Amino acid sequence: MNANSPIVHVVDDDAAWRTSLERLLLAGGYRVALYESAEDFLAASHVEAPGCILLDVRMPGLTGLQLQKRLAEVRQVLPIVFLSGHADIPIAIQAMKAGAQDLLTKPVDKDVLFRAIEEALVRDRESRGAHDRLEALRSRLNGLTRSERQVFDHVVRGRLNKQIAGDLGITERTVKWHRHNLMEKLQVRSVAALVSLAEQLDMLGGRDRS
Amino acid sequence: MESPRRIRAHPGWSGCLLWLRLGALVLGGLCCALLPAHAAVKEARILILNGTDPYLPGYLAFDSALRANLTKDAAWSIVLFSEALDGQRFAVEALEHEYLALLSKKYRALSIDVVVAVTRPALEFFVRNGERLWPGARVVYQGSGVGMAGHQMLPLHATGVLAPEDVEGTIALARRMQPRSRQMMVITGASDQDRRFEQLARKAVTGSAEGLSTEFLSGLPQAELVAAVAAAPPDTMILFLTQFRDRDGRPYTPRVLALEVIKVAQSPVYSISETFVGTGAVAGMVEVLEERGRLVAERVLDALAGRVPDPARAMHQIASRCVADARALKRLSLDASLLPEGCEIRFADRSIWDEYFWVSLGAIGVLAAQSLLIAVMRVQMRRRRAAEAEARKRFSEMAHMNRRVAMGEMSASIAHELNQPLGAIRNNAGAAELLLDADPPRLRDVKEILNDIKRDDQRASDIIARIRKMLVKAEFQVRDIDLNVAIDETTALLAEEAALRGVTIRAELVAGLPQVCADAVEVKQVVVNLALNAMEAMHDQPPAQRRLTIQTRCANDHEAEVSVRDSGAGIPSDLLPRIFEAFVTSKASGMGLGLAISRTIIETHGGRMRAENGPEGGAIISFTLPFAVAAPA
Repeated sequence: MNANSPIVHVVDDDAAWRTSLERLLLAGGYRVALYESAEDFLAASHVEAPGCILLDVRMPGLTGLQLQKRLAEVRQVLPIVFLSGHADIPIAIQAMKAGAQDLLTKPVDKDVLFRAIEEALVRDRESRGAHDRLEALRSRLNGLTRSERQVFDHVVRGRLNKQIAGDLGITERTVKWHRHNLMEKLQVRSVAALVSLAEQLDMLGGRDRS
Repeated sequence: MESPRRIRAHPGWSGCLLWLRLGALVLGGLCCALLPAHAAVKEARILILNGTDPYLPGYLAFDSALRANLTKDAAWSIVLFSEALDGQRFAVEALEHEYLALLSKKYRALSIDVVVAVTRPALEFFVRNGERLWPGARVVYQGSGVGMAGHQMLPLHATGVLAPEDVEGTIALARRMQPRSRQMMVITGASDQDRRFEQLARKAVTGSAEGLSTEFLSGLPQAELVAAVAAAPPDTMILFLTQFRDRDGRPYTPRVLALEVIKVAQSPVYSISETFVGTGAVAGMVEVLEERGRLVAERVLDALAGRVPDPARAMHQIASRCVADARALKRLSLDASLLPEGCEIRFADRSIWDEYFWVSLGAIGVLAAQSLLIAVMRVQMRRRRAAEAEARKRFSEMAHMNRRVAMGEMSASIAHELNQPLGAIRNNAGAAELLLDADPPRLRDVKEILNDIKRDDQRASDIIARIRKMLVKAEFQVRDIDLNVAIDETTALLAEEAALRGVTIRAELVAGLPQVCADAVEVKQVVVNLALNAMEAMHDQPPAQRRLTIQTRCANDHEAEVSVRDSGAGIPSDLLPRIFEAFVTSKASGMGLGLAISRTIIETHGGRMRAENGPEGGAIISFTLPFAVAAPA
């Protein structure tokens, strides 16, 4: 394990459960963090390490579902595996619809638990990966000059060089020059890739101005 | 203002009289219709001519017996007249002239059919004057038979009933009663009547005299007589016959004198008069006056009917009868078995049975009725006890079912509660597995894990045990229990359920609450019922507002009170009076039996349950339980 090993966060009010679960997870090679309540979890500062949350459904104070909602609001994206003391279908449906990774019933078989954790961690990696990529794209975009940015905006809207020159009041040659630079900075080779990038960054909303 | 009343004769009178007359007519007609067929009921007039004092008890008794027997014959309508000569105290011959004048005047217009001549003076009076005073009247004589045989001038068709005057028999009776006695005292007076009896006595004594010394006290003045009797030695036989006059001519009422004599006599006194035997004389051969009255009446009726008597049997002598007074016998310590057979013992001490026959019968009847009532009540009581036992058994079953239902309602929370320790055990076991597979195996950690497993297993067992205690189907078992402890156990039972529903339970238990006498399971059952109801009631409240408070306190010096309060909407006012009835519920599901069963449980414990709405809006259900009575030191 290293500093970037995934952490399994256990949120449950039952001490015996927490302890036993920690033991099991440690034996399984995971890093574990224990929280007595949903409030404790929210209060704790989380290093942006990968991981997932093992969350009890029913707790005094903030319930598991409420915590799920709260986390979604603050865009905390760790996957949640719910653990429930009794099968409650309405709660299960609600949890899954709100984006939970899984819902398991106590007592839980260790293999089932580990598999669920792994799936959660995979999802976490994937969503992290996606997130990172977007972040990279964003930062590259931010590296464009103003003029490059303007040209970019027009290109991804399907404007021809000649049209862009007219729109911006610059020569077609200058347009070509900016176009070459921004594609290098953004590390794309085609207009299609540019458009795709814009889409990913969700910049294409609104009506085409042309 | 009253209207003026009209003045006239009493409005009802004329009408009244008319009705009375009509009534009388109807009544008369009815009487005629009801009278026996032979309309000829003859009227007879009987004159009782008493030659002596008619008010002497003997003659009063005879007179009433005579009258009773005369009126028995329905063929005659008898009218009775009575005259008295009082010949013992007044010389009849001296007054004869006046008597005649009076009597002839009285009976001039009145014809007498039969004259009953009572005592010899009356008979002689009749012989002398009867023809003149009461022509056509026959005579029936009653009196002494002495000297009768020589009497030539008996009237035509005269009949009579002669007194026995059994002096001899009485003396013989006395000798039977006092076999060892050698002393006899005979008391008679100085009048002619008295002397006659003296003669009878002398004759009787000479007849049976062996070894007997007899003293004749004849005509002694009272004082002397009484003294002589008092001085008589104890085993003397005293024969009081009669004394109308003493030797000085003083008149006496024989009975009164006899009483004085009897008072001082230390020996038994015998008599020939039935009435004396009732006033202290021990016994005697007497004439029974009832019989005399009957026989005389027979002869009167015969005379009225015109029957001609057989001269040989015209005068009938009544047989004397033995009569004794049990009180006198007892007083003088005489042996009643010495009496002749068939002697009538009067005034015997009646046993309780005799004396109070009807009362005793009544008392026995009452006792019997009471016994019957008690027996019936015993049977009823037994039946009722059996019924009560049956009812209790049924209620026990119902209470048990209610417990099961309550536990069933809590099944989700029970499962939840159990899954915590079971889950922990599973996790620990999984960890142990992995640790044992490690290289080297982490045995110390595994040991620690096993301890935790044991602890969690115990936890699970405790939860199950708690549930099972509630599901017990035991008999009603009353013990001294600590209410606060029971409430704590109940809140532990309910903890998971409350958590599940987002309800906060708070227990406010007063310290030092004395023990109550109750069945712990049933008390907990009641609190569970109330708490589940309360939690259900708060279902619609926002979670922060779901508060359940269980409180204990001393209601007074002999009861504890438990109250369960919720923060729901309260009990609807139209439901509140009926809330404890069976099948009354505001819940959409459920049978509405929980409160009914709970209240019955509390009432069986001798407590009371009540429901009300609290000031802050929720419902408060509270119940009392009596404190356990401390055992005497």
